[in-house]
Amino acid sequence: MTDQAIAGRRLAERDNRLSDEMFITSLVAGAAVALFLLASILVPNFFQFQNVVNLVTNNWAVISLGVGVTFLLVSGNFDLSVGGIVALSGVLAVWFAQSTEGANALSSGWGMPTWLAMVCALIGAMLIGAINAVFVVALRVPSIIVTLGTMMLARGIAQVVTQGSQRNTNLPSDFGVLGNMTMFGTSIKLPVVLMAVLILVAVFVERKTVFGRLTYLIGANPVASRLSGVDNARHVIKLYLFSAAMAGAVGILLASEFKSGFSNRGMLMEFDALVISLLGGVAIAGGFGSVIGMFFGAIILATVTSAATGLVLSPDWQFTLKAIAVFIAIMAQTWALARRHA
Amino acid sequence: MTDLTQNPTSGDRVKRFLKDYYIYLVLILVVVVLSTANLDKFPLFERGNFLSERNIINILRISAPILTLAGAFTLLMISGYIDLSVGSAMSLSAVVYAMLVINGVPFLPAFVATVLLGVLLGAINGFLVIRLKITPVIATLITLSLYKGIALLLVEDGVSAIKSGGDLKMPGWFNDYGRDGVLFGLPWAFWVAILVTIAMIIAQDRMKLGKYAAATGGNPTAAKLSGINTARTVILLYVLVGVCAALAGIARSSFMSLGDPLSGDGMELTAILVVLLGGTAFSGGEGRVLKSFIGALIIMSLTVGMLTLVPAYFQTLVVGTALLLAAASNHLVSRRDSEN
Amino acid sequence: MIVQTAFADNAQEKALSVRDLTKDYPGVRAVDTVSFDIDRNTVHCLVGENGAGKSTIVKMLTGALAPTSGSMAILGRDYAPSSTQDARESGIGTLFQELHVVDQLTVLENLTLGMEASRLGFLVKSDLEERVTKTLAAIEPTIDPSARVSSLSVAQKQIVEIARAASSGASIIIMDEPTAALSEREVERLFGVIRRLRDSDVTVIYISHKLDEIFELGDNVTVMRDGKHIATKPLADVNGRPELIEMMVGRAITHDYESRGEIADKPVLTVKGLSNYLLKDVSFHVNEGEIVGFYGLVGAGKTEVARAIYGADKADGQIDFLGRKRPSSPKEAIEAGIALVPEERRTQGLFTELTIRRNIPIMNIRKLASFGVFKDEREKEVAREYVGKLGIATNSIEKYAEKLSGGNQQKVVLSKCLFADADMLLLDEPTRGVDVGAKSEIYDLIRDLANNGRAICIFSSELEEVLGICDRVFLMYDGRVEAEIQNGAEVDIPQILNVVTGGGRENP
Repeated sequence: MTDQAIAGRRLAERDNRLSDEMFITSLVAGAAVALFLLASILVPNFFQFQNVVNLVTNNWAVISLGVGVTFLLVSGNFDLSVGGIVALSGVLAVWFAQSTEGANALSSGWGMPTWLAMVCALIGAMLIGAINAVFVVALRVPSIIVTLGTMMLARGIAQVVTQGSQRNTNLPSDFGVLGNMTMFGTSIKLPVVLMAVLILVAVFVERKTVFGRLTYLIGANPVASRLSGVDNARHVIKLYLFSAAMAGAVGILLASEFKSGFSNRGMLMEFDALVISLLGGVAIAGGFGSVIGMFFGAIILATVTSAATGLVLSPDWQFTLKAIAVFIAIMAQTWALARRHA
Repeated sequence: MTDLTQNPTSGDRVKRFLKDYYIYLVLILVVVVLSTANLDKFPLFERGNFLSERNIINILRISAPILTLAGAFTLLMISGYIDLSVGSAMSLSAVVYAMLVINGVPFLPAFVATVLLGVLLGAINGFLVIRLKITPVIATLITLSLYKGIALLLVEDGVSAIKSGGDLKMPGWFNDYGRDGVLFGLPWAFWVAILVTIAMIIAQDRMKLGKYAAATGGNPTAAKLSGINTARTVILLYVLVGVCAALAGIARSSFMSLGDPLSGDGMELTAILVVLLGGTAFSGGEGRVLKSFIGALIIMSLTVGMLTLVPAYFQTLVVGTALLLAAASNHLVSRRDSEN
Repeated sequence: MIVQTAFADNAQEKALSVRDLTKDYPGVRAVDTVSFDIDRNTVHCLVGENGAGKSTIVKMLTGALAPTSGSMAILGRDYAPSSTQDARESGIGTLFQELHVVDQLTVLENLTLGMEASRLGFLVKSDLEERVTKTLAAIEPTIDPSARVSSLSVAQKQIVEIARAASSGASIIIMDEPTAALSEREVERLFGVIRRLRDSDVTVIYISHKLDEIFELGDNVTVMRDGKHIATKPLADVNGRPELIEMMVGRAITHDYESRGEIADKPVLTVKGLSNYLLKDVSFHVNEGEIVGFYGLVGAGKTEVARAIYGADKADGQIDFLGRKRPSSPKEAIEAGIALVPEERRTQGLFTELTIRRNIPIMNIRKLASFGVFKDEREKEVAREYVGKLGIATNSIEKYAEKLSGGNQQKVVLSKCLFADADMLLLDEPTRGVDVGAKSEIYDLIRDLANNGRAICIFSSELEEVLGICDRVFLMYDGRVEAEIQNGAEVDIPQILNVVTGGGRENP
């Protein structure tokens, strides 16, 4: 009994501290700030407000993808198809919007109005998400294999539609509006603002809604969640559809920004989205992680890569740096949590 | 409750037969379809049909890397682990081998050094997974990025690959291994792939390694209770995959006569595809080296054969679809088994 | 490690001797100075009720647990295994309930697993194959050594595992409830195997709840009760089931059931002909405000009844709950007003990595939300309310569930069910691993709930629990409801034990 009392007192102290999740998120945020300051010392002209803005604005696409990927990881599932979907939806949007009478196959499309083309492209993206869901939920194939397959499937369709290159002619004049619209009289473009809104909504959903709760429950203990009346299958289906829709939107915005549908766009974005989630402390086993953490993970990655560029390292350093960053993040997280629970 | 004396019905026997031999049937089917298709119309193979000597030789020498890799990869997946870094390991090996050769190192030392590099790359994977206990998918994603990054860094800025140029000239014999030095019409790299596959079949059927891999993947607790050192088994398998990736890199590099840091991109997907196609269960325990080898032949025949029928940009779509179908059928077969 | 010691003079003839073996857990003495001998080449049965200490003894024999005090000896030599590996090397093989064979390998490969003769990693021919094949043929000639284990039945897999233990030189093989998943014919076959083992210089320690099996198979029996050794004697000297049951039960079970008065015959749940992979034609009904118990031993089908009603497992037959739609998933069951406290608290009932506050509303999470948005303050109120109402001993609702004691964890699981506003509660082993104080609090709570008109089903393998609280008890054996008894002073405990150990069939 005394043992229990002592344990109780120790736990009382513990309760005043942060939850594990907030602890890791703060660590990640701290690491992001520390890295930025370190880079400011090492790299000339790094310490500028514009640089901070750029870290975010240059990475809106990956951060947006990271939201869906993070939710899925928290529920215990991978999604590596997002990069392929970015290419697919962009290509589809362009194809649907191109006017019907072009000079050759690559310059003629379906002649849809821009908005309809974009909606249809989004539906196409969500179909890939539906395939993910069917294979993972109904057939119970491991999500890593399924989404590697759909990654190739989506990109493959994009390549077929563009005959391995891109479509960029015969587009309606309003096609480039969404991706290039600047906001609030600054140089910040609409996609960046949408990303910010997405992050806010995602944080709200994750922290404050039943949907967010269920995502954690499924990842933490799928057996107990089913016995507690959670429809795991249905929830994971929704998450895959959501992730695919976000990737689809990113692809459409990129297509609008560049006024082209390029079949190699979004290459390796699925890995970057996974990398920033892992850097942000999302646990691969599920049930642990946060969108905020993912966001700071993206900042870490962006700081490291842009500092590397500032240090006149060749862009080829990016893969090595990513590998080292993820390795350190995973080891640090394991170590920090082990110490905390010791 | 099942009875002790189970008499398999004829239907069961047909199912059993299909499960054991479908891969060969698929290969025959693919070959028949591709060879009866009239390819004269298509510019890439104007010289005749699919079964022409030239075409077969062409397919087999392009296939050398995946044929080299399939066996070891199968054993690793049988043990319940995965290696997503094989493509990058292959690229890195290709770059290192080309660098050694272009700087005047003779064939044999360069070859051996690259194989030793493969040992190291595999050992790093094994270390991350077994000693640091990082999930195999994540650990090998890290090394995927790392090995590829190093390969890119080894190649000088502004140059896409290690190749002849400036003061450095690739020696004339560089192509021999992967393309021009032939035995019965096929390059050495292909025969090495055959030798590696035979070695892996022996490892699976005649050595402790194959049996321990199956035990580790099939029932890890039972394996440990039987006194098997599963950690050592898995590390050894990662090293084997690393070695085979290095051999594949040498083959690819010699075939293309350059050290391309992107030459192995996507190889992990092809490897997973051929292994799943060969009936290896992703839950571990089950699988045959020979069937993965046949799976690799099928995929390569399809890819090359398809190039004669449809434009090259269909390739990603077909491989992706094949991967999904292989995963689904693989799953359906194993589920039916467990229900029986 | 192995030295001669001062066991009895004839110790060398004893396959295994146990002296003053004791195992203490915090607050509980699970095994209390137990001493007995096991003769060589016999089938030695170990019997006792749940919690009598059998499995603790087995764990100490197999090296999974270290004794607090006391000693063991094999053939007169000291035996103190430091691990299960160590126990195996000392010649103790175990047939676990969970099978440790590799399905994907052949029978022969399994038999030689880990013992292969090899040179440079290559498997070489040795007499090992021949030896294990012979061992297998001696105990069960119908199993083809070249067959893949995945094609074998559960019984055959068990036999392969027994053969592996025997051929790796085990002189003692422990079998814990080996017949739980076997059909009658398979049981006969297994018995043949066990007898042949005995005749080939192997001692078998056989643990089973099924007393008929013990009389059919055993040479000697050791009876345990409340962690103490009651008797060890030849089964020939035991005067049938009644004497064995008497030894197992001993003193009358403390039995503090207080009648809750007449319960009106007003069925809320009616189950007819429930059958699935384990259940056979289970029929019963539960009335409003009634506490009904399902008592049976491990594997009798209690959990399966609960899961079938809850929609967690598929089953044929009719389930009618207040005329509502029959649930096909736990989600639908909760919507219909049924809540389950699962058997495995830590892995099935609780989210151990979440706090108390987060755990409590899970089964009815939408009740705390409007338009999908969670009301944190309301959640805290609810958590505080239940912590108070159920007396969950904690200083904060933000405490992680994994840090709570078993009893408090179970109260959190119960809170989950109560918050779901269930009209009927299915409680599977509600007090397993719960200390005495929390136990009686949980019982009070259950009575309260019933008095407020809820129907309660308790699935338990503790007779004291069932007789202490339930108004009506169904006795289960082998997937069937074998008998129904009205609880009260005149309950015939030996007869209950007779029924749940398989004695109900012959004299219904």
